Amino acid sequence: MSQVNKAKTRSIAGLLAGYTPLPGVADEMVDAAGALRPGWGKLLGSLDEIGPEKLATRFARANQYLLDAGVFYRVYDENGTQERQWPLAHIPLLINEQDWSTITAGLTERADLLEDIVADIYGEGKLVRDGVLPPDLIASNPEFLHPVAGIKPAGGRFLHFCAFELGRAPNGQWWVLGDRTQAPSGAGFALENRVATTRALSDISASMNVHRLAGFFKDFRDSMQSLIIDPQARAAILTPGPNNETYFEHAYIARYLGFMLLEGEDLTVAKGRVMVRTVSGLKPIDVLWRRMDAAYMDPLELKSDSWIGTPGMVGALRRRTVSLVNALGSGILETRALLAFLPAISKALHERDLALPSIATWWCGQEKERKHVMDRLDQMMVGPALSTRLPFEDVRATVLGSKLDPEARSQLLERLQNDGRGLVGQEAVKLSTTPVYVDGKLEPRPFVLRVFAARHKDGWSFMPGGFARVGFTLDTAAIAMQRGGQAADVWVTSKGPVAKDTLLPREDDLFQRNVPGTLPARAAENLLWMGRYIERAEGTARILRACHARFAEAPNQELPLLTEMRDYLKPLGVDLDQAIPKGLQRSIDGAMLSAGRIRDRFSPDGWLALHDLSKTVHRFSDVVTPGDDATRAMTIILRKLAGFSGLVHENMYRFTGWRFLEIGRRIERGIQMASVLARLARHDAAEGSLEMLLEIGDSVMTHRRQYSVYSGRISVLDLLALDPLNPRSIIFQLDALKTEFGLLPVREGGRGAVTSMQTFSKDVLRLHTQLAISEAGELTPETLHKVAFDIGALADAISDTYFA
Amino acid sequence: MLYNIRLHLHYDYARSAAAGRHHVRVMPQTLPGVQRVIASSLSFEPASAERSEFMDFFSNSVTSIVYRNPHETLDVTMTARVNVTRPPLMFDVSPDIAGLKKEIRSVWSIAADAPHHFLTSSKHAAIDPDITAYAALSLANTKTVTEAVNDLNRRIYSDFKYDGDATDVRTNARQAFDLKAGVCQDFSHVMIAGLRGLGIPAGYVSGFLRTIPAPGKVRLEGADAMHAWVRAWCGREAGWLEFDPTNNMAASNDHITIGCGRDYADVSPIVGVLKTSGSQEGKQSVDVIPLE
Repeated sequence: MSQVNKAKTRSIAGLLAGYTPLPGVADEMVDAAGALRPGWGKLLGSLDEIGPEKLATRFARANQYLLDAGVFYRVYDENGTQERQWPLAHIPLLINEQDWSTITAGLTERADLLEDIVADIYGEGKLVRDGVLPPDLIASNPEFLHPVAGIKPAGGRFLHFCAFELGRAPNGQWWVLGDRTQAPSGAGFALENRVATTRALSDISASMNVHRLAGFFKDFRDSMQSLIIDPQARAAILTPGPNNETYFEHAYIARYLGFMLLEGEDLTVAKGRVMVRTVSGLKPIDVLWRRMDAAYMDPLELKSDSWIGTPGMVGALRRRTVSLVNALGSGILETRALLAFLPAISKALHERDLALPSIATWWCGQEKERKHVMDRLDQMMVGPALSTRLPFEDVRATVLGSKLDPEARSQLLERLQNDGRGLVGQEAVKLSTTPVYVDGKLEPRPFVLRVFAARHKDGWSFMPGGFARVGFTLDTAAIAMQRGGQAADVWVTSKGPVAKDTLLPREDDLFQRNVPGTLPARAAENLLWMGRYIERAEGTARILRACHARFAEAPNQELPLLTEMRDYLKPLGVDLDQAIPKGLQRSIDGAMLSAGRIRDRFSPDGWLALHDLSKTVHRFSDVVTPGDDATRAMTIILRKLAGFSGLVHENMYRFTGWRFLEIGRRIERGIQMASVLARLARHDAAEGSLEMLLEIGDSVMTHRRQYSVYSGRISVLDLLALDPLNPRSIIFQLDALKTEFGLLPVREGGRGAVTSMQTFSKDVLRLHTQLAISEAGELTPETLHKVAFDIGALADAISDTYFA
Repeated sequence: MLYNIRLHLHYDYARSAAAGRHHVRVMPQTLPGVQRVIASSLSFEPASAERSEFMDFFSNSVTSIVYRNPHETLDVTMTARVNVTRPPLMFDVSPDIAGLKKEIRSVWSIAADAPHHFLTSSKHAAIDPDITAYAALSLANTKTVTEAVNDLNRRIYSDFKYDGDATDVRTNARQAFDLKAGVCQDFSHVMIAGLRGLGIPAGYVSGFLRTIPAPGKVRLEGADAMHAWVRAWCGREAGWLEFDPTNNMAASNDHITIGCGRDYADVSPIVGVLKTSGSQEGKQSVDVIPLE
């Protein structure tokens, strides 16, 4: 029966009206008899009460949250890669506690079985020896990593964090469609689904006893920390980098859990131990949650052309000095053909049937199974035996028997006959549906539930809900995010109140301050460069504004001053004839690029401000014209830059990372000021140069107050180079650098005694003193050029000390 | 046959290498029934910051070395005294190709010597329809698998030209097949790809070959070379048999084994620095001196 029974649901007819589950397919909201399943009545009633208009406002609020938080994922298509906003399906999927405990009991058993299988494949090889698992599925499997065979994981276990893709059969039974053991993603997105959905429906979720997600992350964090052996060592997250499709999530989880986010180049192996290069020297890493596929982890022993790995990683594993979550080689458990053997393996290893079955799978390398698939081709999905993709995400290589034309069908039958070992058949499943909100109405859509499991000391902990992938259409093949699916929050609802877990320490928890000085060198370098690029953009925009204002006043005559400035800007890559020069855009892009590589250390607000700035500049570049228009544009850009700087200055904790950002800004500002003074404070500088300098140095008012109306060369030089109270003067930058340099960490294993002053500290002191005892009249262009050069040398010294 | 073997590898870096990490596979090993290593040593110049040894999946002995300071050259010197006593060739006990396929399936093992690891494409020796078609002619002329392997060994020897300038260490089976030329590494890769195409498990053996000077000539110092040949799994009875397509012979007491793998990539003498070096003869010198 597919038509909703109106008699039973009359009281909540609103959203339910017209909701028609598909024939022969289970629906999560409405049962076979047309009655609402537990919990849905309350949800629908509340939604109806809110009404379509307010609901639209609330859903918009959820979307706005995701936009503000910068939640994106990357898609790859013919146009290259693009960032897409996270597609939230606003109606949560409800699962009651009883269903949920059936699922988690089944998955606990399954996770333990998977652990035993992978330990056997890379250990004793009993499953193959006893004839349970065909050897060629292992030996010829690209996920079987020969170099790690025989290596026992340091912590004793291969699997610590897994995900399972589940679907529900028409008879109501849950099926496992696939196991994710390589580097499962989505846990962070699940958290964001929850936060966003709660933004829209907080009153409803509060009244429905929805299980919280934080407890799961707390368990996982504790379990990662329990793998640390050396008290000096740390746990960290390893990401392939900002170009990865789920990089946002890596940064997000790193921030949420308080772990360092590292890339392969941050790591090195010394004396058999994995170490992170930090600004304080090499620090040991005992646990890595790797978000990159195993093959890329070590170019020396695995994929030799991997640029994102760490040479020697496998050697460290061989010495059992580091735990990987999950162990290298665990990806073999994702092999599609393995699903065909799980029932027999469960019997062989655990002497029982699987409580939660997999989608029916037949490996066509066996005669009986091949015949079964060929005889029932219309009810089969057929695909590569060693594929690690889910059948419905693999539209290129996996085909539906029922959709083949006669020619393709006979070709497939022939392939099955000749190359059965390379193929598996799987029952063409009809996934159950859940409601989505479309134009004020509910409509059924197929979905896949992703369940996350983390190992803790006594077993497995499950994230209660959080993540379902829902199709935009009724086509089950379009559930994959890459192909335009959407994501829904999943509410596991309880009859009674639920535990209020949070990641914040409880009152009686011991206070623990993080070990300081663990800023990865790469992060420090990116922070420094971000500071430099932002400052470079600001300096450039100030000059451009001053120039365009003059151009606007006298558009038809070429002022000598503007010629001067054109010459000054040219070697900096800035073309004064472009209203929004490419050189300015490049500085902002450079800042974005640096910031993008350290998103875990960056507040969402800061990121948004920078993103907004970049968008503005690129938009301006198409429409703004020289003169007055450009003057106004520069004012807007400068205001946005000030907004960003304010965020950084007022909100960023003064940890080591902030110092590198600050050093970058001060160095750049010092160089710029010295250079522009060398050009415009010459005896023979063009008319109006001094006024322009004051404008560039944002010091018109100060100068007027302190000196006289007339801009004298000496007084301008004094104010912009030597006045220690002027935040734009050269000496002010050197003062700040002196302070920051003194607070930088001392590198362990570096040259020189630990107590002696670092070379760059001596250099800045020398430079500061030289300038402090100078008279403004002594500052010739040559002296100023030398100052600019010496400040640049400070940046090199920092780089040699901390980033090399 | 008793030998003193000396291998010297020399690398010049165009630009000073700031640091390096290498895996070195050059030490002959004791292989029960085939060869016995009486003594061996391996040294590096400059001395490495770290050094350790391990056995890889295929039971090859690997020396891992790490450099942290800039260096312009690397010299690897291996010396060993090895006694090679291969058993004489038995009469042919191998099945035909259909029988072999059944026998492969009856081996329920993923141990390093199991045939299953050697049946599919690898980096340098990918299964290729043209190479398979070429190899298939050897099946047509023969009855047993061993005969077929022997025949392919002979045909590669006669159809391919030995040419040290035609290829380099990165050349794969297909490229060498198109050139119909190359060195021992290429001959071996073509043969491995061909055998795998036919469903015969095949692997790569790296080692040394004693060269016998022409009559009346003296053996030249350092004139020998590292060598490579092929092993093929010819059924449960026959097991792994070794053939040398570069010399049209079965592996003999003149062949001293370092190790084996799926292809060159599994047993290259040194990984980590060879990426940009030239041809495989590059800067190596080998002396294989018989003591009997």
